[in-house]
Amino acid sequence: MEVRLKVKRYDPEAPPEQATRYQEYTVDMPENATVLDSLIEVREYHDGSLALRCSCRSAICGSCNCRINGRARLACKTQISSVAGENGEIVVEPAGNMPVIKDLVVDMAPFWSKVRAVKPWLQPEGPPPEREYLVPAESMTALAEVMNCIMCGACVSDCTSLEVDKSFLGPAALAKAYRFVGDPRDDATLARLRELSEPSGMWDCTRCNMCVQVCPKDVKPMEQILKLRSEAVHAGIKDNNGSRHTLAFVELVDANGRLDEFRLPVYTEGKFNFIGQLSYLPSAPRMLRAGKMPPVFPHKISGIRHVKRIFKRFEKKPGLPFRPAGKGGH
Amino acid sequence: MRYAFWPGCVSKGACPELYQSMVRVAPALGIDLVELYDGNCTGAGVISEHDLDTADALNARNFAMAQRLDLPLINICSTCQGVQSYTIQRLKKRPDLAAKINEVLAEEGLQYHADRGLEVKNFLWVLVEDFGLDKLRSMVKRPLAGLKVGPFYGCYILRPESVLGFDEHPDRDRYLEMVIEAVGATLVTYEGQDKCCGFPILTINKKNSLTMAANHLSEAQREGADCLVTPCPLCHLNLDAQQPDAVKYATVDGLQVPILHLPQLIGLALGMDPKELRVDRHVVSTKKVLSKL
Amino acid sequence: MAVYQHDVLVIGAGLAGMRAGLAAQETGADVAIITKVHPVRSHSNAAQGGINAAVDPSDSWEDHAFDTVKGSDYLGDQDAIEVLCSEAGNEVIAMEHMGVIFHRDETGHLGSRRFGGQQRARTYFVGDITGQAMLHVLYEQLVKNGLRVYEEWFVIELIVEEGMCKGCVAMDIRTGQVHVIGAKAVVIATGGAGRVYEPSTNALICTGDGISLAYRAGAPCIDMEMVQFHPTTLKGSGVLITEGARGEGAYLLNAAGERFMEKYAPNMMELASRDVVSRAEQTEINEGRGVDGCVLLDMRHLGEDLIRERLWQIREIGIDFAGVDIVKEPIPVLPGMHYIMGGIKTDVWGRTPLPGLYAAGEAACVSVHGANRLGANSLLDTIVFGRRSGMDAAERAASEEIRMPDERYADKVKKQIRAVLDRPLNGDRTAKVRLDLGRLMNEKVQVFRKEDELKDALAAVRALRQRYETLGIESKGKVFNTDLLFYIELGFMLDCAEMTCVSAIERKESRGAHYRLDYPQRDDANWLHHISCSYSPQGPQLGKIPVTITRWEPQERKY
Repeated sequence: MEVRLKVKRYDPEAPPEQATRYQEYTVDMPENATVLDSLIEVREYHDGSLALRCSCRSAICGSCNCRINGRARLACKTQISSVAGENGEIVVEPAGNMPVIKDLVVDMAPFWSKVRAVKPWLQPEGPPPEREYLVPAESMTALAEVMNCIMCGACVSDCTSLEVDKSFLGPAALAKAYRFVGDPRDDATLARLRELSEPSGMWDCTRCNMCVQVCPKDVKPMEQILKLRSEAVHAGIKDNNGSRHTLAFVELVDANGRLDEFRLPVYTEGKFNFIGQLSYLPSAPRMLRAGKMPPVFPHKISGIRHVKRIFKRFEKKPGLPFRPAGKGGH
Repeated sequence: MRYAFWPGCVSKGACPELYQSMVRVAPALGIDLVELYDGNCTGAGVISEHDLDTADALNARNFAMAQRLDLPLINICSTCQGVQSYTIQRLKKRPDLAAKINEVLAEEGLQYHADRGLEVKNFLWVLVEDFGLDKLRSMVKRPLAGLKVGPFYGCYILRPESVLGFDEHPDRDRYLEMVIEAVGATLVTYEGQDKCCGFPILTINKKNSLTMAANHLSEAQREGADCLVTPCPLCHLNLDAQQPDAVKYATVDGLQVPILHLPQLIGLALGMDPKELRVDRHVVSTKKVLSKL
Repeated sequence: MAVYQHDVLVIGAGLAGMRAGLAAQETGADVAIITKVHPVRSHSNAAQGGINAAVDPSDSWEDHAFDTVKGSDYLGDQDAIEVLCSEAGNEVIAMEHMGVIFHRDETGHLGSRRFGGQQRARTYFVGDITGQAMLHVLYEQLVKNGLRVYEEWFVIELIVEEGMCKGCVAMDIRTGQVHVIGAKAVVIATGGAGRVYEPSTNALICTGDGISLAYRAGAPCIDMEMVQFHPTTLKGSGVLITEGARGEGAYLLNAAGERFMEKYAPNMMELASRDVVSRAEQTEINEGRGVDGCVLLDMRHLGEDLIRERLWQIREIGIDFAGVDIVKEPIPVLPGMHYIMGGIKTDVWGRTPLPGLYAAGEAACVSVHGANRLGANSLLDTIVFGRRSGMDAAERAASEEIRMPDERYADKVKKQIRAVLDRPLNGDRTAKVRLDLGRLMNEKVQVFRKEDELKDALAAVRALRQRYETLGIESKGKVFNTDLLFYIELGFMLDCAEMTCVSAIERKESRGAHYRLDYPQRDDANWLHHISCSYSPQGPQLGKIPVTITRWEPQERKY
């Protein structure tokens, strides 16, 4: 089929006003070809100056992440037939949230520095056993989901939080962090959770699910972030708004069966943090004016005792995640 | 058309105008709502990050009520939709957990048949899939021609597609556009329409949260939108109630974008009185919208 | 004096390179790794099925060694195989301690699966992403230990001075600048040369760079005729489907639905060694019992649960690249180029005959794989000999007084690059020459070989080199000029192809992966030795190197 690739080019060696432009290439490709096949066809037979990274061609090496029709994708895993518009047009742009070096090649240095920031290596306490660590089979299979990550940067490219704040650790690094928090052989869990609870860490994720949607390896980075949050709260790390927000939410729904929007922001700032609470003052009068002020005394649903029973029955006990006997001392 | 109706906490709290408009618009469309007055919060994705099983159990309780009525469930909140769809999928795969949940539900005489599942649809999906846009078009009494409307979806009704039935309904990421056009308004699209409004981190990282809202609102205004319409009251809170604070992060001058709830847009097109739809109960004035009707 | 210098410079950041770098640094040496792609983009990622080791107390490394010797069709050096297999257990445990999430059995111990050519299950794995899981863990260790990485730097030439290797000349791909990097010892760990063939399971970066660099610098290569065709690759793209599938019980079927391996390997069936299975498949296809040029790999009876837990990646690959869900349908496969057993000749410490130059992993030939590598022995090779070469390189760096090379070596390379860039375009293209080379090799130097075809291939490779030397390059920029890099890579590939053709013509017998239709028998009396290739301007000069036999006398090989 005929494909019209509209590629966003950037030439750092050109004069600034000509450096960025869209260039269209028309190539004839087999029906089952991928976007990467088409880009390689361009590079090899039409325009040798087109720069892109690629290697494995089978979604394992993570090199060819770019934006295809506005969404982060691995070019090698994207069939042209699934993305070509009616006239065969496919828009290919470099990954987002990272500086462009040339054409589709982006500078991943910020990406790697965040991966490094989560201390991405196993930290067991004491000398290793003579043979392998004994751990339940399920604990290793459970980590396969996050170990499936190939560090392609698709999640980082389209992360909506990173888009407004470059200091956010981002989905890939946080998922990598869970790989250790969830590993029964690691003994730095509490320290990791504390660090990750700092500003720009796990609580800055908006839960927008963009990373889950674009991840080509089904790593579900956001779900790993949610696991970090759950572990942090249960480990008793409560000195931050994120953690307090979750606990307040749970407490209020447990009390009324429904959300109490009046108390939620107040509790989130800390029940006695009057200065923090003041930051919500400006919005209160205008909401009151518009008749949008949530009730001061919330309505309790009539089945509240059933809701309470659910909380009682299902809530996890506080503490750190499972560690095998003799490991770590917690 | 009859549905078990889960209004969500926010439509009964900080966005009463959503609830009010929905209970007036539904009968006008011939949609019969059986409200689950005793339903509980879905957890909004927050309880699930505290404890996934608890969140599933809470949602199963609402589902059981709908199943007892033998009705599909309708919601008016993207966030509720996402959480509910997620639970339905998870409990289908985890019969052990479903059984455990049913033990607790049994104490109030409820049972959720996880294997059967439950049809849960946001009002937006109901409009397009069950009600039909042709029918909607035929009922328009006040064509909104001249009103430029931008969509704002809310994350949970769009992602992840694998949870939200996109296999069966691949166009669910275009429904708002389709509805806007069906009621005769002029569609305005912009890059941020499917991104995050910022609400979930409003109390955690206010600057980031408001910057997100400001970015989308600025873009929409630049593209000429008179207002945005959203099926999510949480997005409404950030885009509308927080807009005066978001102004300082705006990338356009004089940011002022009214935000309509989906039932309000429909009600206006059906010729209903804006007051009845509580269009006056917003933080950002809707005069700009009303003047174009 | 060179601006950049280190005690040990490792070229390549796959498993062998990172293991070498870590081992060298552990001794206190100043180590740097130079790599043309970020470490986790390396091709070690693609190893799916697992890593062999006699870890279980009921197993013995000697049994593993025997299976390896037999698999090699007795061309493997048995002293090296003894090292490989006796150190395997400790190396796998060391990887586990670093954090690899190896599969466990119900007791929490490491759990294994069966692999081809072995008497028992001793392949340890992480689903079907074992290479990826190991590569990322070694990268974690690299970060932990703060190793210097020249990331996206491309090595163009080794520096040989005073009879020893003293570093390299390399280009920073991001700036196009050419620099000298001096080193007291250099370890080549650049992987194989799979892209010499088209199709191949190998990544696009597998262009034989290190093999050619060493060869040009005067280090000989051996066993270059031994090219492994993997029995289960996808048609067209050549993407790999792990042997782990058969290890878990998958069947190979012909068009009539028969498990044809009954005829070729009645005992081991689908789990005979790779050369045997590939020949069987090719025979079925050639004799008209194939399905559209393929045979069928059937996994339906394994069940969705097992596939989801242990073979998730190939399920995804099947859906993405063949439109087949292996849970529901058999997937068409055929033998495809996968691995080169040959490479830079080294001893068991990774030393090449050129002082200061080391090699490990697929780029090297110790030789532990001989004429046919067992599945899941390649990961083992990378970490055992990666570690050993890193240790020995560091020791050399600590004990020898070596004067570092100066910057002049860069000037010569810069001039060469300028000459290539200045050459006028003549209508020919790097990509065309490379495609012609790949197709040629796949057609004439394949599972079944014969003299006239091999000679045609050699003549054709030499003709391609003529084209290579006159073609021009379109892109003249400095930043990320991949056009230029691909040109240089093609030069490396032509060297590797030439060595393979020359050696294949030379070996007039059939052994392991080298099957000659004109000499169908193994001939121990005349050919129980390695063929070596040494550089000369006229082409590879051939030599003979005896095979080391310690305790396993050659026997007839049956599966």
